[in-house]
Amino acid sequence: MATLNKVEQAKASFCGLDLAPRLGELSAAGWESLDEATLTIHLKWLGIFFRPVTPGRFMLRLRLPNGVLNADQLDVLAEAIDRCGSHGSADITTRQNIQLRGLLLEDMPPLMAALERVGLTSRQSGHDNPRNVTGNPLAGIDPEEFIDTRPLVDRIQAAVLGPEGPRNLPRKFNVAVGGAPDSFLLHNDLAFLPAFNDGTLGFTVMVGGFFSAQRNELAIPLGLWLPADQLPAFTLAVLRHYERQGDRSNRNKTRLMYLIDAVGLDTYRAEVVESYGAVAGAAAALALVPHDGTHLVCRAPRDICGVHAQKQPGLHWVGLHVPMGRLHADSMTDLARLARTYGSGGLRLSESQNALIADVPSDRLEALLAEPLLRHFRVDPGPLAAEAVSCTGNRYCSFALIPTKSTAQAVVEELERRLEVPHGVRTHWTGCPNACGQPYMGAIGLMGAKARKDGAMVEAVKVFLGGSMAADPRLAELHDKGIPLSELPEALEQILVERFGARPRALPA
Amino acid sequence: MLRRDGDPTGDPAQLPPPGDPGRWPWLQHLRRRPQLELAPWLTALEEGSVPAETDLLTVLAERVDSSSAPRLLAWWLQQDPPDPTLGERIGRWREASCAELLRQALMRAPQQAPLLLPLLGHQRDPADAALLSRLALAPGAAALRRAALEGLAVGLSSWPLPALRRTLTQLAADLDPQLAADAVDLLARLPQARALLLGLAAERLDPAVAARRQRRLHALPPSPLLLLVHGRSGGLIPDDLLALRDTLEQRRGASVRLLALTAAKGSPHAPLPPRPEGPEGATLVPLFLVPGGHVRHDLPAIADHWRQAGPLRRLPFLGAWRSWQQALTQEVQELARGAAAPPLLLHHPLDGALGQRYLQHLSRITGAGCRPASYSAPDPQELQLAIRSPVLALALAANRLTDSLPLELGPPLLQRPRLQRVLLEQLAALP
Ligand code: HEM
Ligand code: SF4
Repeated sequence: MATLNKVEQAKASFCGLDLAPRLGELSAAGWESLDEATLTIHLKWLGIFFRPVTPGRFMLRLRLPNGVLNADQLDVLAEAIDRCGSHGSADITTRQNIQLRGLLLEDMPPLMAALERVGLTSRQSGHDNPRNVTGNPLAGIDPEEFIDTRPLVDRIQAAVLGPEGPRNLPRKFNVAVGGAPDSFLLHNDLAFLPAFNDGTLGFTVMVGGFFSAQRNELAIPLGLWLPADQLPAFTLAVLRHYERQGDRSNRNKTRLMYLIDAVGLDTYRAEVVESYGAVAGAAAALALVPHDGTHLVCRAPRDICGVHAQKQPGLHWVGLHVPMGRLHADSMTDLARLARTYGSGGLRLSESQNALIADVPSDRLEALLAEPLLRHFRVDPGPLAAEAVSCTGNRYCSFALIPTKSTAQAVVEELERRLEVPHGVRTHWTGCPNACGQPYMGAIGLMGAKARKDGAMVEAVKVFLGGSMAADPRLAELHDKGIPLSELPEALEQILVERFGARPRALPA
Repeated sequence: MLRRDGDPTGDPAQLPPPGDPGRWPWLQHLRRRPQLELAPWLTALEEGSVPAETDLLTVLAERVDSSSAPRLLAWWLQQDPPDPTLGERIGRWREASCAELLRQALMRAPQQAPLLLPLLGHQRDPADAALLSRLALAPGAAALRRAALEGLAVGLSSWPLPALRRTLTQLAADLDPQLAADAVDLLARLPQARALLLGLAAERLDPAVAARRQRRLHALPPSPLLLLVHGRSGGLIPDDLLALRDTLEQRRGASVRLLALTAAKGSPHAPLPPRPEGPEGATLVPLFLVPGGHVRHDLPAIADHWRQAGPLRRLPFLGAWRSWQQALTQEVQELARGAAAPPLLLHHPLDGALGQRYLQHLSRITGAGCRPASYSAPDPQELQLAIRSPVLALALAANRLTDSLPLELGPPLLQRPRLQRVLLEQLAALP
């Protein structure tokens, strides 16, 4: 029998969700009453993260299914970090989500109540839980979509957080639903991609995608197709099976793909079908259709920035580039105001850590584009800036080998000064091999490292090239194992010129 | 456990040096070891045989326990100067001995205070509240004062409240706008935050701080007030009460409704208000001066009725408020000055033991005698009596009794500046 590791022991002792009713009392009593495991593990079931780098200043990670939120919700989040003064900030994450930083534990009970009032939750957003469920950021307004993913994602979240949902998975778990030709989602443990079966539009199931320091995999076809209305129950079935069968001895070898490897894809499929029968009834399980995994996703995700016609005539979405996904209270308040003033109040977040304002009528566009906020959150970012993705970096993460966000921003700006790049090039920056910034998905992936320069060890990056999220998806591969940061602009300039058709800009006279 | 090449043995001598490509995975392994013996690492750090890099300290700091934490902290505090980045990681462990080490370090090396004070606050020992408050308030380097305030912030719910309120209230008007802003934000998190923020004199605040206070207030909407008053026959509400309502509404920026007991039958039971915003719902304030039938019977019934509209907080009747009793006492004392006989409080006749006990209490604290007087059919006898003593009629606003009193016996309570002011202040400060 496998012995439980320390984390598993803590998780087995009680469920973090049980802390919810005691949160007020715990924060009022001061959190010295919280032991180490409660502080660093259990509170994450409520979305509350103890940050060792800023002891006493906590992070709260929300759930924003499909990256959808509205102006009133954004106002509540802005107020929460405004209260934290210079400590307060927020990040748009690569799961279309928002996390708030700088909060005191005392902030949590009123904030949770405020979130609930505006229909938000932070439940089970961290640690070994099903994370924010993503979908097409343009769902419902996208002229190119096959299906609106929002109601599907909402129902999956409801199922996952409902009484039947998992409370103690062996490891985190990512679920996503594709709805458009550019819904690249193979980095998820479970991805539903739009696919036809016998002329009916439904979803083919992809499983096992994940990135880590040890291993990187794109999801593979499970060989099953199902109609849209079965997604929530099927997700539950997969999660419950994983909860029962996933390995709990070695946290480095626990993500879903290891389980699939261990039992073999065919056995895994059979077991999931059985689990589905238990969740949805044997009749429903019979309705699962064998499928070859072909699907309708054929392009890398669109750059959402700029003004684009929605599928509703006369309306537009205006995509804004949020540098490195970093938000502050004033910019959030302003963003909420713009969404309310010029659109319907609806906002979306993308995996590229950008935001869009939905439902802007043609005659409001000019006024919106003249707003001062759009000088910082541009509608026309450079081709590198638009899709530069970065992990948290070393202000907040102890393992970063370089200051990720600031390096990314500085280098991208410098390259855009030097080069004309004919089309978007996706750069993914990550501070260390833990790969939170998904370097293997970038056309250019950059990973913090150390390298020797002039006899001394200096901050550097490993460079990965060749990642593609298009029809024939590929993970990027190691190209250079240590370029010192001081030489990075030149090295990337060369790569962009040689491989991506960039041209040096004419120098200003 | 399997031993592959490069597998960490947990032996400090084996740790690849900074910059070595093997170092990151080595440390990640170390971090995940089921057991980690910290003593050799602490010794190596103390001897300087292993360089004190952030990545290593992060791993070690995650694994400390109550015996190794103080040792690690003591090592860090001995560095000259201690590296702030390491301190954040090392200082997270909360333990009486760690707090003591930090205090000693503060005495020994006051120049390190900006680094140490947030860590001390993080220890959340109420004993340190005074020190943190003093350093935040005392004139001194901005960095030091801000660090002291951050210490107060990260331990917020551990400090004795009255002193904390005073410190933060004072800091809110500080000339350093960042300190002032942080103080306002912290006040907004304390119990009765609205009252505290409203209590700040806006004109003394830096404009940016005043704007911040406004934002905090905006997010702390005051609860709508339901003022339960007796009213006059036919539901007529005296002007004094209408004026009170208007002033209050303006001051609170939230709705204030008057419910008259005497209005058309059942009025306080009539149309329910829209469900109030805020989680706390509306506040029912019984503006009765004595615990008579209205307080004992009508009030619970009315509260039950209004609860149908949402959460309702019910306050004690006005006569029971200590602030009100103090104001009455002062008013009586003023009347007593130079008077031939002790003042009299005229009150509506009361039955029941509760009412009698209340009157005895009132008489004791104010030094006035209490005398029943029919409010609906005032007895001229009473007036005779009253003329020899100064008189205070326990009626907020004009009623038949006050109407019947000679003018020089004075106006109803709401027309007396002290009592009016106290009532307004109390009601304005309700959350
Ligand atoms: C709707 C008809 C009523 C009228 C016109 C009326 C009249 C008054 C007036 C003018 C006052 C003085 C104002 C005040 O002290 O709040 C008063 C207070 C009082 N009334 Fe009434 N009343 C009515 C109903 C009742 C009833 C039914 C009772 C007896 C059960 C009662 C018992 C009292 C008591 C004990 C007080 C003192 C209240 C206090 O200040 O705490 N009233 N009433
Ligand atoms: S990739 Fe590394 S540096 Fe970046 S957030 Fe993850 S662990 Fe931290």
